[in-house]
Amino acid sequence: MTALLAGSAYAGQYVEWRDDGSVLLKLGPDYDNAVIETSREELGALFGPDQKPFEGVNITVLTLDSGPKGGISGPIMALRPVWEELSGGKLDVALVPITDLYAKMMLDLRQGTGLYDAIVVAAFFYGDLIAGNYILPIDDYMASGDFPQWSYDSMPDSLRTLYTWKGVGYGTLNDADGQVLYYRRDLLNDPKWQAEFKQEVGYDMPVPPRTWQQLLDIARFFDGKNFDANDPDPDSGIVLHLKVGEQGLYHFQSLSAPFAITPGEKLDRYHRVYWFDPTDMTPLINSPGHVAALEFLQELAKTGPSAQISWSLGEAWDYFLRGKSVFVFSWGDVGSLCQDPSRSKIQGNCAASVLPGSDRYWDHEKQQWVETDDPRPVGNTTGGSWHGVISAFSENPEAAYSFLSLMAIKPVSIWNANNGWTGVDPGFTYQFLEPVGEAKLEDYVKAGWDPNDVQDYLKAYYENFNAETMLPYLRIEGTPEYWDIMDKNLSAAMSGEKTAKEALDDTAKVWEEITDRLGRERILKQYQEAIGFEG
Amino acid sequence: MIRWTGRIKFLFLLPAVLWVLSFTVFPLGYSLYLSLHEVERKVVITGREKVPVLKSDGTPVLKADGTPRTRTKVIRELQTSFTWNNFANYLRAFRDEEVREAVRVTVIFTVAAVGIEILLGLGLAWLFNRGLYARGFLRSVMILPIFATPVAVGYLFFTIFYELGGPLSWTGIPWLSDPDWALVSIILVDLWQWTPFCFLVFLAALQGIPDEMIETAQLDTNSQWEIWRYVILPILKPVIVIVLLLRFAEAVKLFDIIATLTKGGPGIATQSYSYLAFNRGFKMNDFGYASALAFLLLVAVMVIVTLFFRRLRTSYE
Repeated sequence: MTALLAGSAYAGQYVEWRDDGSVLLKLGPDYDNAVIETSREELGALFGPDQKPFEGVNITVLTLDSGPKGGISGPIMALRPVWEELSGGKLDVALVPITDLYAKMMLDLRQGTGLYDAIVVAAFFYGDLIAGNYILPIDDYMASGDFPQWSYDSMPDSLRTLYTWKGVGYGTLNDADGQVLYYRRDLLNDPKWQAEFKQEVGYDMPVPPRTWQQLLDIARFFDGKNFDANDPDPDSGIVLHLKVGEQGLYHFQSLSAPFAITPGEKLDRYHRVYWFDPTDMTPLINSPGHVAALEFLQELAKTGPSAQISWSLGEAWDYFLRGKSVFVFSWGDVGSLCQDPSRSKIQGNCAASVLPGSDRYWDHEKQQWVETDDPRPVGNTTGGSWHGVISAFSENPEAAYSFLSLMAIKPVSIWNANNGWTGVDPGFTYQFLEPVGEAKLEDYVKAGWDPNDVQDYLKAYYENFNAETMLPYLRIEGTPEYWDIMDKNLSAAMSGEKTAKEALDDTAKVWEEITDRLGRERILKQYQEAIGFEG
Repeated sequence: MIRWTGRIKFLFLLPAVLWVLSFTVFPLGYSLYLSLHEVERKVVITGREKVPVLKSDGTPVLKADGTPRTRTKVIRELQTSFTWNNFANYLRAFRDEEVREAVRVTVIFTVAAVGIEILLGLGLAWLFNRGLYARGFLRSVMILPIFATPVAVGYLFFTIFYELGGPLSWTGIPWLSDPDWALVSIILVDLWQWTPFCFLVFLAALQGIPDEMIETAQLDTNSQWEIWRYVILPILKPVIVIVLLLRFAEAVKLFDIIATLTKGGPGIATQSYSYLAFNRGFKMNDFGYASALAFLLLVAVMVIVTLFFRRLRTSYE
């Protein structure tokens, strides 16, 4: 407000430099004339009203294609004219479908073509990017003070790990992916349903469920009942997006973590590990904990529509948004889509919580199950946490970084989190509400959020990213290949073609072959570096 | 003069030869080379230097103080090594369970789809050839699917097979969520699109049979089946063979419908050989293995087609 009252030293179409040192970034009519307020200091020394530091420079950013007002690509398109006015340069945005991004990127990098100066990557691309030296570190740029100012300090450790490699910064702050549980507040808090649940199941309905076993009880209780008044059809307990080749495997990753990870003080051979034995790359994916989790997921899926085996994100999310299921566990997009009246019938009833824990977990050291009375949630960074990195083949790395860092400054990041369509999920300190963060409830409400929904949502994400035990992230060379066979076997198990044990044994067998083919010693070293294993 | 004519005919041939060398022989040779080698690539950054930023007209961009604006040029080298891999990609293909499953899916699809398309095409052609009400209109409608792009067809059938509220949801059949039904769905889509092609070719062939020949046959027998069996089918045989080969060559390359409809799932229940090869190359970035798979398919198709033609030639002789 202060800034709006201040005089204007220089006002361009997209950038207004104010006398009091504030700077307004104007996104234009395509983005509801949104204005993001920043400062000269925050924009760094290179940018100024009379400076065009990258005049004549043309850079290209490769990103996934969700359209000009879609997830991840939307904010890039929104900030493009702002950066062009600030820098004097020209920004081309190369858009490819999410499923083709990895291939396009690797083709360019492996051939050394240098078509792209910056690439918006998923964190699981890092194994390949680091192994080939395909991306440039950015610590020197950050320290120079020349570029827009942002910091890794606003990230919890769980996310910072994904943006760096062995402590060196490569990624610029953007997205924070993780899966949380969404549930229907109105249904779970309804005394009528609570009484029926107690009568049928024998205990008070926990809201939200603290364990997956409790969640299954609730899902079974509601499955087949017509709790949705919009149609006469029976509704479901849960809905899952299980289509092979898409996001099906992420459900398993998030759900299985509390079954398959042995909690511990620090990460060692047996504790806090999930994917491989960090001493020899023996797959852990077919451990009894993982198998039990997949058997559990098969049971849970029975409380959802059978068609979900072939559903992508869109179909599953819409099912929940139309009020047809009690639960869905997925990314932050669901929380923001709940607030969109054109798609959602559950605004105000879209509660969220950190994913449940499990009342038993597998102890990798003692090779036995451990029953626990104090189930703890296991946080996850499941997904891509999509963010920009600079190609080693860029002819204009500074210009590329100046754009990526503009996207990373605090006011832009807050604007992204406030506006759900950006696909940028909350995870950084200033996006969370006070007292754990710096954000204000009224800013979210002003952006269209229901106050109860957004409070639950942000609390869920805060607890998720700051959980004591985290699902380690797989960042080794060939991760897409390891995940591809896992995805196919999981899909086979969920469609009844294979048992859980067969599916995970088959996965482990192929993982051994991949590791041997890529070079066990090399991959082991990468894996240890990626998860921070110190022996 | 004669010698000049001899030379000029080679000059006329040169563009075609260059075209074939560039776009057929080179890619084939390169992919064969890739399939037989392990490729390692790594970027080595050897230094950085400051260079002036230039405008599009080549003049330097100046700062406010008149000095040239500079940028950092990263000096790097892309190191690539090709190592002979002792046919590792080919041996891997024979051990790969996904390959075995993809071959199974492709064979089932090819036999079922091509077989039914030919039978249906023949039946429809026979029906249309006998004279049918509104034959011209129906014929035009029948051949429309041929002109639809497979990707669009895939998305169209995704909505048709949608199990909650789709036009076929009343059947209660799990069209895309059950492994067996998913393969049936793929076959049905292919039937919808390519039966009209078979129909069209067979109809043209039937209409080319002189009436006198049929009338002469009718003097010997009243049985329609015998006329078909001993007169019409032998005449149609070369056309059926051509249609069979064309459809076979297309069917073994099945890709688009799977990419849009099932992505090879559930599990790998509908993953065709071509889709697997594409997945290995373009999704997993394993071009050596994908090339090996492609060459194995090429060899298999060549062997089948050669055997087919040899048998055909024998039967004619």
